[in-house]
Amino acid sequence: MACQKKEEKQIDQYLDGELSAAERKELFAHFEKCPACAAHYRELNKTVMFVQSTSHLEAPPRMTDQIMQNLPSRKKKPGWRK
Amino acid sequence: MDAVVKRLIKAIKKEDDQDAFAELVDLYKDKVYQIAYRMTGNSYEAQDVAQEAFLRAYANLESYDESRKFSTWLFRITTNLCIDRLRKKKPDYSLDAEIKGTEGLSGYSQLSSEELLPEEQVVAFEMQDWVQTEIAKLPPKYRSAIILRYIEDLSIKEIGDILDLPDNTVKTHIHRGREALRKRLRNI
Repeated sequence: MACQKKEEKQIDQYLDGELSAAERKELFAHFEKCPACAAHYRELNKTVMFVQSTSHLEAPPRMTDQIMQNLPSRKKKPGWRK
Repeated sequence: MDAVVKRLIKAIKKEDDQDAFAELVDLYKDKVYQIAYRMTGNSYEAQDVAQEAFLRAYANLESYDESRKFSTWLFRITTNLCIDRLRKKKPDYSLDAEIKGTEGLSGYSQLSSEELLPEEQVVAFEMQDWVQTEIAKLPPKYRSAIILRYIEDLSIKEIGDILDLPDNTVKTHIHRGREALRKRLRNI
């Protein structure tokens, strides 16, 4: 847990890319003095990296064909093209 | 990309051009499937949701506002379908289970892997599997925000448009989802 609500909010803002350079400096200076906040930040950062590193999935190979086979007619006009 | 998408949508609307729709599916199927898989946590349901999302998009294309991004609209349909399903919550399908209508194809075989050595593959897979399991434990509203932010890499604004939520609510959902995951993943 971050030591105070203020720091917790600042860590969130930092991770959202919303802190100014001066605020970032202040936050990192706080980490030097406060192991609890520093650990909280490190853990959140690690969490984000884990989530980001989940590999990107590909749709199953025949998905487009399957969708096209199930396509209803959008307009009443009969489809003449293949 | 945007110009291509616009041209395809025009062709579908004007001429009911199914080939154009097939192209559109090809462009977005991986992303739609990925959102559906991360939301539902299993490949059978993900396929089903992805398919339904495209069919709904096709049937309701007239209601798509062309001044907005097509992906936002399509992802909104996808996340809404996922959230509806999660609400109805059937018993969990297992990733080990065979996928209906396929021969011996399990969820594992659908996970794309980088070319890693077999041992590394196992470690990477277990890790990924674990992260996925933890994501799947999040309440759906936090889960969708986390997936769109960190897996699809979208901005807060786009996520707000997809989920129909104000930016601040999106941020709160991301913060809470991130915090819940931190508690589970911090000891790795």
